[in-house]
Amino acid sequence: MGHFFAIRLGRAALTIVLVVTFAFVVLRLSGDPALMILGPEAPPEVLAAFRKAWSLDDPIWAQYFDYFGAIAKGELGRSMRDGRPAIELVLERIPATLALTLPAFFFKVALGIPAGIYAALHRGSGIDRAVMMTAVAGFTVPSFVLALVLVLVFAVQLGWLPSGGQESWRHAILPIATLGLGGAAVLARFTRSAMLEVLGQPYIRTASAKGVSWRQVVTSHALPNAAIPTVTILGFMVGTLIAGAVVVESVFAWPGVGRLLVVAVANRDLAVVQCILLLVAMTMVTSNLVVDFLYGFLDPRLRAKGAHA
Amino acid sequence: MTDATLKDAKAFSSEVDSGSRKRNASKLESSLRRRISLAAIPVSVALAITWIIAMLLIAAFAEKIAPYGFTQLDLRNRLAAPGNAAHWLGTDELGRDVLSRLLVSIRISLLIAFGATAISALVGTTLGFLAAHFRGAIEQLVLMLTDFQASMPFLIMALAVLAFFGNSLPLLIALMGLFGWERYARIARGLAISANAQGYAAAVRQLGAAPSRIYLRHILPNIASTLIVSTTLVFPEVILMESGLSFLGLGVQPPMTSLGNMVGYGREYLTRAPWIMLAPATTIVVTTLAVSVIGDWLRDRLDPTLQ
Amino acid sequence: MSAPFVQVSAISRSYAMRSGMFGRSTVVHAVDGVSLSIPKGETLGLVGESGSGKSTTGRIVLGFEPSDSGEVRFDGKPMAPLGTAAWRAQRARMQMIFQDPLGALDRRLPVAAQIREPLDIHDLGMPAEREDRVRELLRAVELTPAHGARYPGALSGGQRQRIVLARALATKPDFLVCDEPVSALDVSIQAQVVNLLADLQAELSLTLLFISHDLRVVRQISNVVAVMYLGRIVEIGSADDLFARPEHPYTQALVSASPAPGRRSAGRIVLAGDPPNPAARPQGCTFHPRCPRAIARCASEVPALSSIGGNRQVACHLVTGAETRDAA
Repeated sequence: MGHFFAIRLGRAALTIVLVVTFAFVVLRLSGDPALMILGPEAPPEVLAAFRKAWSLDDPIWAQYFDYFGAIAKGELGRSMRDGRPAIELVLERIPATLALTLPAFFFKVALGIPAGIYAALHRGSGIDRAVMMTAVAGFTVPSFVLALVLVLVFAVQLGWLPSGGQESWRHAILPIATLGLGGAAVLARFTRSAMLEVLGQPYIRTASAKGVSWRQVVTSHALPNAAIPTVTILGFMVGTLIAGAVVVESVFAWPGVGRLLVVAVANRDLAVVQCILLLVAMTMVTSNLVVDFLYGFLDPRLRAKGAHA
Repeated sequence: MTDATLKDAKAFSSEVDSGSRKRNASKLESSLRRRISLAAIPVSVALAITWIIAMLLIAAFAEKIAPYGFTQLDLRNRLAAPGNAAHWLGTDELGRDVLSRLLVSIRISLLIAFGATAISALVGTTLGFLAAHFRGAIEQLVLMLTDFQASMPFLIMALAVLAFFGNSLPLLIALMGLFGWERYARIARGLAISANAQGYAAAVRQLGAAPSRIYLRHILPNIASTLIVSTTLVFPEVILMESGLSFLGLGVQPPMTSLGNMVGYGREYLTRAPWIMLAPATTIVVTTLAVSVIGDWLRDRLDPTLQ
Repeated sequence: MSAPFVQVSAISRSYAMRSGMFGRSTVVHAVDGVSLSIPKGETLGLVGESGSGKSTTGRIVLGFEPSDSGEVRFDGKPMAPLGTAAWRAQRARMQMIFQDPLGALDRRLPVAAQIREPLDIHDLGMPAEREDRVRELLRAVELTPAHGARYPGALSGGQRQRIVLARALATKPDFLVCDEPVSALDVSIQAQVVNLLADLQAELSLTLLFISHDLRVVRQISNVVAVMYLGRIVEIGSADDLFARPEHPYTQALVSASPAPGRRSAGRIVLAGDPPNPAARPQGCTFHPRCPRAIARCASEVPALSSIGGNRQVACHLVTGAETRDAA
């Protein structure tokens, strides 16, 4: 069993290494990192100190290892806009983002999973078709369009809710609704197909043929098996809690990590961008790892197939 | 972020299905000719195809059919409502014709989406074939990259690249071309491995054929329909991704315009002139819907195991 | 007699097979010390049940799979390493006929294009001559140019196998390995294809390795027959002699199970026990758990393949020279 987890851990470490490598390569390709990180107005002695600190005069492979070292120590550079450490800027935005993404996550789960299960159990019914149509809409309507339509209806036309800002809880309703509706549609569609797949399996037919009640077939056979793929998609959704609201935060002028990222990209504030990139990678890898472990717990067969790519 | 999670959902389910897909693929390829006949096309699919053809014609002839230049100002007719004789879809706050801008935006957005989808299919299929051919370390490297690509939110990576490199249309196309390649790589690898293990590819190899002949002349045509179905999954996502970036002001840069740009721009005038944003938003939604409808239909016809 | 055209010396092949959830790996000996020789223009029939290693032997002989030990010499020279340009060039001289002709053909190309393919690959003849050669090959396998324009899906099983045969013959090879070439075909078609193969062999002086589980078919075409059981050859000899007087208990069982004119089915030997499983090979003589005549020695000692006179060789502790000839 340890084998399975060792492989997963190794793979997670590898993903982090790849992201850091990606950041390193992109940073080096884009020009002088000292100028990039510190900005063109940085005084020459600061630039020189930075070059020395980051060993920019060393051979490229030595720089590569030093880069890892710097990141491990949390030295992610300073924002060229206000000179504060990038990591601080990013961390202080996280609560605002979570204030949107966490309620949206529960909204998605509470709405999407029951809808998907219900649709699968009543395949072909009116509700099934409604769920499927909503799910298709959830895919084809981009979140910024959905956000604007919600603003148009609830803020502009009806005047019930504010269209942007972060002054009160009422300001959070529309962004949460935007995030939640789209995600619920995806989750409903996914849960439905996972359920249908399980319901088509021979062991379900066997169980019903043995005279087990349908309610019991569903609760003790179908649901646990359909849970396995659904846990994976939930894991991905947890992974996007930090950076999953880039567009929505921008539309609603919500001061979270996503909005910070958009502003940083527009200003080419590279230290901040790099910091968010690494933070997102960490979150994704951690949640993937948790999902993998949960998977191993839910489905012991997978531990044997741990080496499967 | 809805788009990112959906991509992940699909990546996951395509992995789940890869086993059965491998088995079914060769059987299904041969049914391409037989199964598609005009009589069997449902109304929704016919409408979707009509819409896509219309979009392609608009993309090809945007400048010819646009009533005005897309940057042409008409300061006496600013924020004109749709439905007037001079400007069917109204004007924006500089008096630019929304219809003309929409037509040019369709051209740019489709250009990016087609270019990116082509690059992504090419890169992914090539890597998948390399993995299938060499196995061993190269295969592990490709698999590692596909895992990496599938587990990182693409929007964040794209934003990072744009931050580091600045922006230009070729870079944007190239960047979008990195979207979704992992799906082609997985499919191409899986199908090529099963083709190599038995059947026609092994037979041709046994004849003494060089790998290039086996992969390009035999395996590629045989897996093409599965790859085409994947294209219909990637293409709408590329449109959504590009319009998202452009909406944020980080994609296509003014004075050029794209569908996402127009929505982003129209957002400022949401209260006074919602038509500026509604026309391109509707176009995005209907186009992605049309490609998805066609894709679903093709998938049912060609390869029911793909999600 | 001159040196054999195809000389196979003590080839072996084993695979590591992972089983169970803890990834224990068992070694499967698919082929274990097989030696064969085929003179030019003759046919060697290789007989055995599924899992006997006969197909793996065929693939190794053709250089399609490496051998763990031993070697294969073709026309006096060792086989080129798999996948190299020299290996690819060598394919023009040796070809394979597959069990499943539909699987061996590309369903998206007209069959004429596929018959032509080896000529394109090995760059034989001018392009115009290649078209003529394709027509000639279609005639040789008793098909018409009209068949050539069709796709594999539009041909019958027998016709497809003829196409595979035509493709294999396109480069005028000297050596063909036929792996169960007719077992997927209707019985009535089988004879036609085998006869065609025999005619072509005589006409083109082809050397054949003919692999089959079907004794009737093997008997029809082979000069020499080798019987394989769980990776080893248990008996080898001239076709007529071997079928008339099988010596190894396994060969006897096979021959008795195969219907033949003028012989009643009353004398049929029915083998007990499980069918052979290469992942769990018994100690000693691999056949002993199913052998009706097994003695204690069979369970511990592997019998060597030894000559019992003529060109007959048998690997059985109970069969040694003239003494056991009567016992049969």
